[in-house]
Amino acid sequence: MEGYLGGRIEAFDGLYAALAGRLRGYLMAQCRDAALADDLLQDTFLQMHRSRHTYEPGRPVTPWVFAIARHVFLMKRRSTGRRLRFEERLTADATAGDVVRDDVKAMVEKDEVRRALEQVPADQREALLLHHVQGWSFAEIAARLGIRVNAAKTRAFRGMKKMKGHLK
Amino acid sequence: MSAPQPLRDRVAGDLRPVRPLRSPTVRALVLVPLAAAIVFAVPALHFFRSDMAALGVLRGWGFSYAQAIAGIVIVALALRESIPGRSLSRAVVSCTIAGGLALPALVLVMTSSTFDLGPAPGRALVEGVGCFRASAGAALPALLFAALLVARAFPLRPGIAGALYGLGCGLIADAGLRLFCEYTAPPHVAFAHGGAILGAMFVGVVVSRISAPSRR
Repeated sequence: MEGYLGGRIEAFDGLYAALAGRLRGYLMAQCRDAALADDLLQDTFLQMHRSRHTYEPGRPVTPWVFAIARHVFLMKRRSTGRRLRFEERLTADATAGDVVRDDVKAMVEKDEVRRALEQVPADQREALLLHHVQGWSFAEIAARLGIRVNAAKTRAFRGMKKMKGHLK
Repeated sequence: MSAPQPLRDRVAGDLRPVRPLRSPTVRALVLVPLAAAIVFAVPALHFFRSDMAALGVLRGWGFSYAQAIAGIVIVALALRESIPGRSLSRAVVSCTIAGGLALPALVLVMTSSTFDLGPAPGRALVEGVGCFRASAGAALPALLFAALLVARAFPLRPGIAGALYGLGCGLIADAGLRLFCEYTAPPHVAFAHGGAILGAMFVGVVVSRISAPSRR
């Protein structure tokens, strides 16, 4: 990171190689859309580049860059109203899909999980996805969300409980 | 995994060396001379309270400068909040705002023995507006300075950062106001002095939300 701040493009390449995979996984878990996750990944690196002077040398890079990624995701969601359109599409699908074929049953089930996830409050869903999908430890989640470890555990637990409730 | 060429080209096109921001504490220290000047200027530009001698140096200047230091600490927290990945938890934000708002009342309780000294009948509004204007006017330079410091960073929650530095600057201004206004009646203190601090917080929120790089 120090090399990148010093203006070396090779340092940026190294940073991209080290972070892009995890960032993409995180963004994918947030938006559940591969193409959008790729766009958000590029936006995240551009935003990181614009605000690179805010990185404090000596501190871990991960919380800093994930905070930027989360912000990029939230801004994108806000500006496009993607969630609203997604819910509208789900409603339209539910109305049109009265007869469900066996070969798309698996997809429907995925949709059920997705719908159940949508019912979970955003803060709980985020903790749940980071822990159960991304495999982050609760300490890492707590550090990134700026909450206590116990709060991270509680959010993930309550999120899972609510999701299970909606799946029944 | 290598960076896509368009992204790499855009980054390479703007890849000049940058100097990282100093730590929030160090940047907040820039406010110290301004805060000291504000605490001195508010009574100096108007007049000192009539019981200044009875109050003594510690209960007068000492408590005012202690409150101003608390204001600078809160501005430092706002600067920390403005660094990605160093956001404050909800508990810290809530405790800071509650503690900051309670601080002037605590200082009043610790430095006064009676709480019935208020404006003369019929003068409450005029005197209240006078105190509010003096405090709000004194908070303005610190607010502008703090807003510049925060805008140079990257506040992801500009509303919270603004509320914090507005509160800090309001406390700095109120530290000077208490050397000028000797009224201890709760309605006057709550509405004129507390109102000015809340006003500074509100201005901080608005300015921060407008000026934050994260909204552009």
